Amino acid sequence: MQKMILLFALCILFVHHTSAQNELPDVKVKNLSGKEISFNTICKSTDTALVISFWATWCIPCITEMELLNEQYEDKRKEFPYKIIAVSIDDTRTVNKVRPFVKGRGWQFDFYTDTNHDLKRALNINDIPHILIIKNGKIIYQHTGYTPGNEENIYQKLKTN
Amino acid sequence: MQLRYLCPVILACFFFILFYELKAQSPPPITNGHISGSFESYSQLYLRDKKINAVLPQDRLASNNFLKLDYTLKKIAIGVQYESYLPAIAGFPFVLNQSKIVNKYFKYTDTKFEIQIGDFYDQFGSGLIFRSWENRQIGINNALEGVKLAVTPLPFLHLKGIYGRQRKIFDYANSVVRGVDAAIDFSKINKDFSGNTFVTLGLSYVGRYQQYTGPDPDFPATVNAYGTRLEIVGQRGSFSAEYVYKDRDPNVVNNFNKTAGSALLINTGITENNLGLNISLRSLKNFDFRGERDAIGTSVPVNFIPALTRQHDYLTSNIYVYNPQAAGEVGGQVDLFYQIKGSRKQPSRIAVNFAQYRALGIDNKLLSISNNRYFSDFNIEWKKKWSNQLNTTLAYHNVFYNKSVIEGGIYENTNANIFIMNNLFKYAKNKSFRFELQALFSEQDNGSWAAAVTEFGFAPAWNFYLSDLYNYGVLDTHYPNIGGSYTKNGTRFSLGYGRQRAGLICIGGVCRFVPAATGFSATLTKTFNN
Repeated sequence: MQKMILLFALCILFVHHTSAQNELPDVKVKNLSGKEISFNTICKSTDTALVISFWATWCIPCITEMELLNEQYEDKRKEFPYKIIAVSIDDTRTVNKVRPFVKGRGWQFDFYTDTNHDLKRALNINDIPHILIIKNGKIIYQHTGYTPGNEENIYQKLKTN
Repeated sequence: MQLRYLCPVILACFFFILFYELKAQSPPPITNGHISGSFESYSQLYLRDKKINAVLPQDRLASNNFLKLDYTLKKIAIGVQYESYLPAIAGFPFVLNQSKIVNKYFKYTDTKFEIQIGDFYDQFGSGLIFRSWENRQIGINNALEGVKLAVTPLPFLHLKGIYGRQRKIFDYANSVVRGVDAAIDFSKINKDFSGNTFVTLGLSYVGRYQQYTGPDPDFPATVNAYGTRLEIVGQRGSFSAEYVYKDRDPNVVNNFNKTAGSALLINTGITENNLGLNISLRSLKNFDFRGERDAIGTSVPVNFIPALTRQHDYLTSNIYVYNPQAAGEVGGQVDLFYQIKGSRKQPSRIAVNFAQYRALGIDNKLLSISNNRYFSDFNIEWKKKWSNQLNTTLAYHNVFYNKSVIEGGIYENTNANIFIMNNLFKYAKNKSFRFELQALFSEQDNGSWAAAVTEFGFAPAWNFYLSDLYNYGVLDTHYPNIGGSYTKNGTRFSLGYGRQRAGLICIGGVCRFVPAATGFSATLTKTFNN
């Protein structure tokens, strides 16, 4: 029985691969004022490329990467247009720190929280940091983990799309 | 064949057909679906190691594997999760040598209406009254199998209902959990609120029924919990308070105590440019809430009680971590984040955190304070970017750890002072070197520790590390580790060899004891999204 379910799931995967367009999951995240908004709506709201960064206040490599992205944000945006959406996966243990944390660091991104990991789960993100680049509702690049220098790949991708 | 397995098969068939229909009708394609999936595999090979008295499992090779597939088509989403333990890694909260499809769901989302049938995760408020969640590291998954309904009948009113049974490893808890949650958004009622301040009032009910077959005529088979919460968020500050009352719930964890439980959580935050302050207070009284009255440890929690302390990442600062005491505690934490220098390019940042938790006072009332300290942690971290090449982090921690309460048993209290230095040197555009030095000084428990970590990064794909944690106080033992990883897009493979320290991993108020072990570990994770 279980094999049948898996088989059907794989069939969907196979059939789907032949179609071109897609729509992102309609999952709600919260902005820093506590307002719920669908991730799909965020992605549809602009033609500009979106860099979605999944991070948490306790994740050292995430913070290293975000700090660098923040420092270069202004200069790079003069070269090519993009917007950074930072989705924190901090759960109740640390979610209250997100706002003071980002303000205390002077980060300039659009911030959302995914406290019970609904979006992380819907996009099947295993570990953070995890970066997605979304353009016109389509994921054109993704990268898991951070090694200093990874940001160059993000910029390269943004430049060529 | 069990009937409940039919549902996903039927749904899968439906979409299979729908897809072909849509494709047949439409060049150019009008299908708007999103397929997403992930695979995660964690394996360990255990080796004999007399120095740390590592207990070899019967099967020296253990492997935890997870496959998840989700498909979204317009308003509909379906998905499955398959788990395979061949067998489960040592120290996992269950001994298992089995594979199974554990989660499957169907979800329909409209603007004002959402229904999910099958296995689902959710939380009410902060989770103090209810949270179903997954954490593969500690082996917890208390997804509810049943129905979840969310409606917005009026623009300012959000209602949610849940009904189901909790997942218990590869089975289900012998009970039913049900609940409703209402959130009233005042900014939608009164236009005066719709400026920059948002006020939300929440009311929740959660009940758990487990059949009782014992002799006590006064024994509650159903345990009800009621919660209320208020959240105010402005431009420069926020305040939230949540109170939950739980009916008497005699169970194994509270030694069949027949008194009611309660919990209070208050949080306030202030933000200015380059400054952030957050203060949390929490008190718990007889508040362990589970799906089964004889469950312990990581098994079937209904609510979520995380340690409200700083979450540490370093080898030495992770030795003494707090485990919340649901039986009774009072305490809180303060966080301060500050960017010292205005320069965006070369900032200097400071983070201060202080947390302390104590036993409830002699009358055992919520918020009463006794002199019996469970845990305290004062830590300060200074981070400086010297140039585009060099970053330095310095940190100091002063920790008090009541091991008898936190781990159980009779031990002396531990005081520890921890010093950490972390340097990241990016010597070329895609090459970096990281170097950590750490020292933990203590005269109690296992005495003092020292640690060093080096990491070499070659972006975009390669990363290697070499570390040693050394206890020179009592154990005179080295815990060396070496490993590396390869990453490409959404795929990561890592391989490591080394010795791991015995200790507690605690996430969200549930802890897993990890036994000392030596061996190889391999991890493969993959995420795919089209």
